[in-house]
Amino acid sequence: MSQEKSTDELDLLVGRMRSAAAPLRGTLSRLYEQFRGNRDGTVADYIPELAKANPDWFGISIVTAQGQVFEIGDSAVNFSIQSVSKPFVFGLALEDHGLEGVLKRVGVEPTGEAFNAIVLDEKSNRPFNPMVNAGAIATADLVKGADYPERVGRMMDMFSRYVGHDVFVDNKTFMSERLTGHRNRAIGHLMRNFGMVGERFEESLELYFQQCSVLVNCRDLAMIGATLANGGVNPATGVRAIDSQYVKYLLSVMLSCGMYDYAGEWAFRVGIPAKSGVGGGIVAVVPGKLGIGIFSPPLDAKGNSVRGVQVCSELSRMFGLHAFESGDNGLLEEQLLPQRQRQPV
Amino acid sequence: MSKIIAIHSFRGGTGKSNTTANLAVLIARAGNRVGIVDTDIHSPGIHVIFGRRPESFTHTLNDYLHGNCSIKQAAYDVTESSIGTVGPDDERPRIFLIPSSIQVGEIARILREGYDVALLNDGFQDLLRDLNLDYLLIDTHPGVNEETLLSIAISNAFVLIMRPDSQDFQGTAVTVELARRLDVERIMVIVNKIPNSMDRELLREQVESGYRATVAGMLPLCNEMAELASSGLFVNGHRDHPLTLELARIADQIMH
Repeated sequence: MSQEKSTDELDLLVGRMRSAAAPLRGTLSRLYEQFRGNRDGTVADYIPELAKANPDWFGISIVTAQGQVFEIGDSAVNFSIQSVSKPFVFGLALEDHGLEGVLKRVGVEPTGEAFNAIVLDEKSNRPFNPMVNAGAIATADLVKGADYPERVGRMMDMFSRYVGHDVFVDNKTFMSERLTGHRNRAIGHLMRNFGMVGERFEESLELYFQQCSVLVNCRDLAMIGATLANGGVNPATGVRAIDSQYVKYLLSVMLSCGMYDYAGEWAFRVGIPAKSGVGGGIVAVVPGKLGIGIFSPPLDAKGNSVRGVQVCSELSRMFGLHAFESGDNGLLEEQLLPQRQRQPV
Repeated sequence: MSKIIAIHSFRGGTGKSNTTANLAVLIARAGNRVGIVDTDIHSPGIHVIFGRRPESFTHTLNDYLHGNCSIKQAAYDVTESSIGTVGPDDERPRIFLIPSSIQVGEIARILREGYDVALLNDGFQDLLRDLNLDYLLIDTHPGVNEETLLSIAISNAFVLIMRPDSQDFQGTAVTVELARRLDVERIMVIVNKIPNSMDRELLREQVESGYRATVAGMLPLCNEMAELASSGLFVNGHRDHPLTLELARIADQIMH
């Protein structure tokens, strides 16, 4: 499944031509037109930087495990990654401490509680899973480094490997997050009480606020998804972003816990490991095949991007992308090949 | 099934536009609806061979790429002037030309602004559908460029024109490699402007073994073509000329 490709200029050019000529381009265009008129949902407003998002912003991107890039709409508009960052910091923690080391501090159980609930698993005192704030703070605490700058640097390098280029933190968002992060600090202190985070936990909270404020666009999210789809190797740069043995854990926890309180129904209906964020982003992964990135700020009652959920559901239905779909209808492969066969006159 | 034929040469001056225009006429005369797109945005010219003045074009490919019109609005029916009188309701034969703008301002604009190459493909598909074409011939810009690569990627047959010249030999090898990378269905090489003194069979062998591709035709260097100087369609004025007959053989291979 995974291919380590060299960055050949010619391959890049040929790839761009293939994408320009592939029917998937037209399909994404139609999906975009189909859902852009949907004005349901509300833009997150707990910090001013999120509140000023334009509700009409809407971008869809797909990157295949071979590195073919498709994008439409506002795919170049940057936004804060927010919770979409969580699986990847979890991945970094896995690389730093191994599976058992991480599971001592955070569980992998979906929780019916709100994502920012100040609650830990009663029996183990662990946060329920890495996708809720408590769990994300615990995994941020696990990121190794001699000091704060090194930990931030390692985290940013990790994101860069997934995205395929340097990424940056939006200062204003970071400042807003840390000034309003009272619940998160409360969770941090509670976990410190139970030894789920270490002495440096206040520094880890800062790291957590930074990770939420990383700027990405939906093409970046699709590339992140494609990296996981490609067994942990970025298909455009050939750089390994995460050890291949951990990819399945990221995908499993995304499938069971990635879509907030909609996770169960999502796993049932859509069947694609995904993670959403209050910035309006969603990343979804079809292992071995592609990554999907969507950006649309209006969120539903559960905190997921309204148009994002619709697009993923429709793509899953059209191309049979559900993880447990029986058989392969071959439609996706057809969509990726340059359009040569014409309709009979 | 409609077919897209991309016609290309690595360098300029190989006779690509003349060959494209004449092949279009021959294919149309065989009872087909043929479209010709001049995607050589940087140095347009095929409209000259069809006797059309640039002022007569209200819209060009450039307008389509800038989003100012549908591509159908940039298509001109040149059947009368290139094949002769056909009944106004006759669906076949028909030839349509989609020219690129030769106005300096337009060329400068597209150089500065660029355009989304995927729009070209959308345009090709629109042409096939809206004009009900049997064949779409794409006259490409010489050398390696996005328009050419896209045209190769979506073509059913890729026609490469070269002269028996060392520079063309080397350059054509590059293009063949690119075409193979783009999984092109069919590569046909035409060697054009062959001096009488050259050994044709040896030449054919060199080309076929060098590129592992079919040589679809060997066109002689001839004074009559040079004298015509792109002012008209060679096959119309020289129906029995060896050049015309060889072009007809090539057209036949394209159609089968």
